[in-house]
Amino acid sequence: MTTMPAVSTVGTSDGDLIVRIAGGDRGAFDELYRRYARPVLGLALRRLGDRGRAEDAVQEAFAAVWRSAGSYRPERGSGAPWLYTVARNAIVDGLRRTPEPAADPPEVPSTDTGPPERAEAAWVAWRVHRALEELSDQERPLIELAYYGGLSQSEIAEFLSLPLGTVKTRTRAALARLADVLEEELR
Amino acid sequence: MTDRPPEFDDLVGGDDLDPGERARLRRVHDLLVAAGPPAELPPALAASEHREAAVVPFRRPSRRRQGVAAVLAAALAVAAFGVGYFVGDRTGESSAEPEFVLPMTGDGASASLAVFPLDEAGNWPMKMTVVGLPPLPPGQRYELWLTKQGRLAESCGRFVVVAEGRTIVALNAPYRLRAFDGWVVTKAGSEEPLLHTT
Repeated sequence: MTTMPAVSTVGTSDGDLIVRIAGGDRGAFDELYRRYARPVLGLALRRLGDRGRAEDAVQEAFAAVWRSAGSYRPERGSGAPWLYTVARNAIVDGLRRTPEPAADPPEVPSTDTGPPERAEAAWVAWRVHRALEELSDQERPLIELAYYGGLSQSEIAEFLSLPLGTVKTRTRAALARLADVLEEELR
Repeated sequence: MTDRPPEFDDLVGGDDLDPGERARLRRVHDLLVAAGPPAELPPALAASEHREAAVVPFRRPSRRRQGVAAVLAAALAVAAFGVGYFVGDRTGESSAEPEFVLPMTGDGASASLAVFPLDEAGNWPMKMTVVGLPPLPPGQRYELWLTKQGRLAESCGRFVVVAEGRTIVALNAPYRLRAFDGWVVTKAGSEEPLLHTT
C-alpha cells in the first residue's frame, strides 16, 4: 500500500473522505484515520476504561468505517456525526463480545452528572479532539501543553525554545482557529 | 493531565482584543476544559501498518461455517427486528444499544425512555415504553416534552396509547440535550405533567 494518496486529501471535508472511502480510496482512509484516530481512542477509553481494550476497539472502529462507508449519505449531514455513530457502535459491539472483567468499572471516569450530560460530554469531547487535529504542528502543542500539560506560557516558551511573545501569538491564533472549526458548537 | 486549567486571561493577553472575538475565544477555552485531554496514540496505532490492517478483507469462512453463520444470521435478524423497527434507518453497524435509559414516573403510570446515539443529522432517536396511561378520546394525544428550569421547552413528539398493557413509541429529540433538565409527558395542549423523569 502506498501512503501517498492518488488525489490530494488536504482540505477535503470528512464527508467527502467517507464517500471516497466507499469507493475504495485508501488515501482518503489514511487521512480520515489521521484526523480521527485520537478522538476514536478517546471515545473508546471513556466507554471501556481500559487502555488495551480501547486500542483494540480503535482498530475495530476503523474496520467498521471501511466496511460501512457506503451507508454514509452526505445529504443527511456532515461526516463527524456519522463517524461518531459508527465508532461508538463498533466500540459497543466489541464490549458485548468481550465484556469487561467484573472488577472494572463500566464507564470512566465516574462523574456526578446524569446520562444526558455524559452523552453530550462525549460528543463535545469528540468534536473538540477532532478540531485539535486541524491545528498545525506548531500550534497544537501549545494548546495541549497549556490545557492538558499544566504548563504556564513562560514554561511552554522555555520547553519549546520559543520567545514568549511567539507562544502568546500562536496560542491566540490557535484558539481562533479552533473557534472557526467549532463554529457549530459555539452557536 | 493537570487538574488546573489555564487562566483564560493569561492565554489571550491584553486589552487589544475585540470584545466579540474575546467572547468567542472564551467559549473555545471552556470547550477545551470541558473536553479534557485527547488520548495519546501509542506507536502501534500511529503506524501505517495499523491502518493497513483495518482495510484488509476478512478471510472467507469455510462453507460449513458459512452455513452455520447463515442460520445464526437468520435467527438474529428475527430477534433484532423488533428493536430495529424502532431505531429505523440508522447509521453504521449493528448496534441498537441506547446511550442511556431514563425512568419516568407519574400517578398510576410509568415509562422507560431509551435514548439512542445522535444520528448524522443531529437527532437523538428515542424509544419510550409507557404503562398505565389511559387512552384519550379520539383526536387527543399525549406529548413528550423536554423541560428547562421546570417548564415545557421543546416537544419531542405526540403519541397515543393502547387500552391495556404497554405502548411502545418512537420519538425524537432534535436538540442539544445539555440545554435541558428533563422530560415530561403531558396531554397535548396542557402543561400539566403526567409523567416526568426522576
